[in-house]
Amino acid sequence: MQELVGRLTALDPEASETLKVVAYFDALVASGVGLDGLLRAAAVLSGVAAGAERRGTRVDSTGRRLDAIGDVERHPERVGTGTAVWLERTGSLHANDEMVVERLALAVELLETHRGPVSSLDVVVDAGRSADERREALTRLGIDVAARIRLVATGVGDAAPGTPTTVVPTRNGMLRATVDSSGRVSPADRTGLGVWVRADHAPDSWQSAVIAYRLTDATDRIVDATDLGAMLILAHSYDPEAPHDDVTTLAGLDALQSTVLRALVEADSIRSAAARLGMHHSSVQARHDALTRDLGYDPRTPIGRMRYVAAALLLRLSDDSTARDRPPRRHGQ
Amino acid sequence: MPTATAARPPFDPELDAVFALVRDLLPPLTSDTIPEFRALPANPVELTPDALRDAGVTRRDVTVPGYQGADMLVTVLARADHTGTGPGIYHVHGGGMITGDRLLGPLVMLPWVAQHDAVLVTAEYRLAPESPDPYPVEDCYAGLVWTADHAEELGIDPDRIMIAGASAGGGLAAGTALLARDRRGPKLMGQMLICPMLDDRDASVSTLQCDVGTWTRDHNRVGWDALLGEHRGTPDVSIYAAPARATDLSGLPPAYIDCGSAEVFRDEDVAYATALWRDGVQAELHVWAGGFHGFDMLASHTAVGQASIAARDSWAARMLGS
Repeated sequence: MQELVGRLTALDPEASETLKVVAYFDALVASGVGLDGLLRAAAVLSGVAAGAERRGTRVDSTGRRLDAIGDVERHPERVGTGTAVWLERTGSLHANDEMVVERLALAVELLETHRGPVSSLDVVVDAGRSADERREALTRLGIDVAARIRLVATGVGDAAPGTPTTVVPTRNGMLRATVDSSGRVSPADRTGLGVWVRADHAPDSWQSAVIAYRLTDATDRIVDATDLGAMLILAHSYDPEAPHDDVTTLAGLDALQSTVLRALVEADSIRSAAARLGMHHSSVQARHDALTRDLGYDPRTPIGRMRYVAAALLLRLSDDSTARDRPPRRHGQ
Repeated sequence: MPTATAARPPFDPELDAVFALVRDLLPPLTSDTIPEFRALPANPVELTPDALRDAGVTRRDVTVPGYQGADMLVTVLARADHTGTGPGIYHVHGGGMITGDRLLGPLVMLPWVAQHDAVLVTAEYRLAPESPDPYPVEDCYAGLVWTADHAEELGIDPDRIMIAGASAGGGLAAGTALLARDRRGPKLMGQMLICPMLDDRDASVSTLQCDVGTWTRDHNRVGWDALLGEHRGTPDVSIYAAPARATDLSGLPPAYIDCGSAEVFRDEDVAYATALWRDGVQAELHVWAGGFHGFDMLASHTAVGQASIAARDSWAARMLGS
């Protein structure tokens, strides 16, 4: 049997295998799949047997159950709180083995967390819960309802920058939510800092932390929602399922057009934009005219700049960057 | 015409996760994009040389007479050490009547070739829309006749031939079995109809419910349009093209039918099993909870995928075992 990742890669060579491992485990967690299903996923993704210490479960690379744990090679292995998961790779590791085991461990950890009652922090950041429920949950966490806190959003795989912490499903996959009440967080690889709020308004802070996290990238690894100012209101009200035409238009530009447009918006003059781009003044002027036609507004006027900046912000809040490059969903899905 | 008053049953959670990964990768299927669909890479049930070697199975290709004597390729799969005669499997591939080739599907039957020393023949029937009805089903029937006529040299016991196919291949297998019955052609010992495509009428509740999945109502209409053109949904469709239209299923061989509870073909597949029972024909029916079309092929590692494969292997063992 072919490895699942291989099959998916053949269908979609542009997305990385790592991305698919993460996406698959996120989808399994979102669907509420149990331990056996998670192990089957790890085994079929890696092409070797996978196991977990809990209940002594092992499955082979086609998903069939194996006998309970004997003297098996655990390579690589991840030991978490109260559980261990592993692949049974003999010889050198394959490219995605560590990633598969990491996501497996996280998913199993989440399973453990969600076997008990919903964690108090899950309640605290959930806007769907009543104010009373959230206040009770804060009390259980030992946080005063009037305390100033903010929520911090990081990737689930990153160590928590503090406590309490939990993992929360968002429209863009699972994210780790951590409470910060001191202002002294040790940021992870990519970190979105929420706005400071009274503790009983934690859902607002979490929502802004998720927005800030979505705006992080390789250059800006930490984004503070407070720095967005009034743009945060715009971001809050944005529905990526129904993007404004300005956003769709930006998404449709090719890489060169996007670069030229950004230079035109940021530079003082066409001449300095041309210098920055290393292009001739007249060709930048021609591109400016063409972009003004394509966009339906002149990006160098004050209003045009504003429209560009808003649309660029919202574009970054849209579904993952690969989705932006694809045509709209088909079959009315 | 029934109306769908409720959403379809949800996908099984494990299948839901797999579907989330592939849903945006499937190209749109319309009458105009059939070539793009045919070019899709990485079929999960493609027969590879490695799979043959691992199973100890050899392959040879033969050109045989298809419908009206046209050349048709078939592939014969048998154990490398096959001697004498064993059971035969006549395989019809799937692909919505419009795509696929003869190597699409036999992979899941290799264990039967190996374990029961069966000989499998799989036919490269002509596809719609270039070759509309009756070409596909008549090619399939011609290949079955050739297999029965050459049973001895193929190492097949002519009294122990089973027909098998998935999706459109399941529908064509059912149609071929009807042709064999009505023309007093080769005698079949069984028909394995894996999530078969049987009904062109676009009217069942499951058809109305399943607009999301690996084979949607829209896809289904494209497939039947290609096969039947303007006749789709009219009284002018033969029972061999759309076996759901047959009113008398007596005299057919025992059937195995499976499908998912969340696929377009659910209701026509259940109805076909019910009609077989009504007419005194043995049938075994499995409707797998939360299965989308072809879940056992796309996600064979899942719990429900494994259960489906195990049930099919069990029926095959009862049919082919000596």
